Amino acid sequence: MIAAHRFNQILLALLLGLTAVWLVVPFTMAILWSLVDPSEPWTADRLVPPVMSFYRWQDMWENSSLKVALVNSYLLAPSAAIAALMLSMPTAFALGRIRFPGREVAKILALLPLIVPPFVTSIFFTSLLYQLGLNTWRFGAILFAHAIVFMPYAIRIMTVSFEQVRSDHIDAARDLGASPWARWKVAYLPALKPGIFASLLIVFIQSIEEFAIAFIVGSPDFTTIPTLLYGTLGQDFVRPNAAVLSLILVVPNVLLMLILERLLKSANPALSSGKG
Amino acid sequence: MTLKKWLLVLALLAPGLGLIVGLIGVAVYIAVAQSFGYYNLSGESGFSLDFWSDMLARKVFNRAVVYSIYVGVISSVLAVMLAYPLAIWLRKPFPGSLTIGAILKAPLLVHGLVAAFLFINVIAYHGILNQFMQGLGIWDAPKRLQNDRAAIGVIILQVWKQMPFALLLLTGAVQSISDDVLNAARDLGAGGFARFRKVIAPLTVSAMQAALIIIFIGALADFSFQVIAGPTNRQSLSQLMVFFKSGGRWNDAAVVGVSLMIIAILGSGLLAAVTRMTMRGRLA
Repeated sequence: MIAAHRFNQILLALLLGLTAVWLVVPFTMAILWSLVDPSEPWTADRLVPPVMSFYRWQDMWENSSLKVALVNSYLLAPSAAIAALMLSMPTAFALGRIRFPGREVAKILALLPLIVPPFVTSIFFTSLLYQLGLNTWRFGAILFAHAIVFMPYAIRIMTVSFEQVRSDHIDAARDLGASPWARWKVAYLPALKPGIFASLLIVFIQSIEEFAIAFIVGSPDFTTIPTLLYGTLGQDFVRPNAAVLSLILVVPNVLLMLILERLLKSANPALSSGKG
Repeated sequence: MTLKKWLLVLALLAPGLGLIVGLIGVAVYIAVAQSFGYYNLSGESGFSLDFWSDMLARKVFNRAVVYSIYVGVISSVLAVMLAYPLAIWLRKPFPGSLTIGAILKAPLLVHGLVAAFLFINVIAYHGILNQFMQGLGIWDAPKRLQNDRAAIGVIILQVWKQMPFALLLLTGAVQSISDDVLNAARDLGAGGFARFRKVIAPLTVSAMQAALIIIFIGALADFSFQVIAGPTNRQSLSQLMVFFKSGGRWNDAAVVGVSLMIIAILGSGLLAAVTRMTMRGRLA
């Protein structure tokens, strides 16, 4: 046992070292690059940039389409999240609370968007838009596609939530004379709440990060943060600018993911319905 | 079930599942139809096998097929191979195992484009890796590592990004094996590797298949890693499809897209079958 413990300790130290190299070094490099002041270049012979400032951050803020991209991304994501949740609710109710033949097949079919390669979906969705002559309202088109492509997550989570609503709570509310709306409020909503938040958050994160649809449907003039970052990494590659954008894209998502993990852990029917 | 109940179920499924099946179905339908010359956006529409025969004769297409399969297979196998020992190690909680799990899962939170940027930053000509190797005296001069011809950069990125996912699936499967089974194998004289080969691997084969297939499809259809870190003399299938689409050659893009889907389905089936057959051989 002691040998095994020692072994684990050594492995642990090795692995922590490796992951430090794996995560800490790349991110430190990105942070340092985003702070390089243009007055003096960061040459290979120096460990840290000679002059550091927030010039790049300010410059990107003032002189690039960053502001527009931020507005687009952060308008798109909550709209897509709400739309996906609303559209998924009836399906999740049917999958979670009604027994019907073919239910398992329906559950698998709901995962379709996750299996078809994203660029196939986005290119031929664009083709459809052209056929219908609807290719001009890009925001609406991307919103529609995001809501549907990320709906599987909402359907999965909400189906489980609906399964966890306790029948005796619904019956009790009905016996006490509650109207359908009151039954929904006292029996369903408390059990569904964690699932609702988790669905909103996961679709929000997926939409903020989504690249293929935003790039194909939105090009050339509709930018989101990922498409802007892609542009910065491409033909006009300026390392410090790309560093700024990378950090803007990654930091809020890590925070949101941490919240999501909490929410999913708290998605316990006994806790959320107030009774064991 | 009564007719009324059926109608209720269908009405409930329509806005959610209905839209999903509708959108994806229409996208796949248009891809297939356009690959045979229908829904032509410029010129005449009508059935034609020309787009397929022309594409199959193109060198750039065949190279893209081979290249995408290469990246898909190597990335999925490597990610699963790395994830297995970690999953087995983390089977039983020990002090620090939660932290390790969290660090290993961190790449799931990092956007693919950001990961690609971080990576090319580290391996840049004057990047920290080159300086480190020179500092140690292993390399005399900086080496050009970005966009390497064997796509090692792309594979490293795929494994970095996808290994946590395989780990997630395999940890669950490995944890569900009871101690009794492993102890019995140990009592019968099975060593560490024999226990893995004859007990753990066969019992977790479904999770292994799922991880292999999902990572394979993702890596096969990769666009951003390839464009940023991949070899410049090769194109992945997604990249080729986007290239045709931006040139307005929708029918050619459709042929590539349909090929991509066919390869994804065939490849997944093949990977699943090979995994199962190997395991069956070991069970016997």
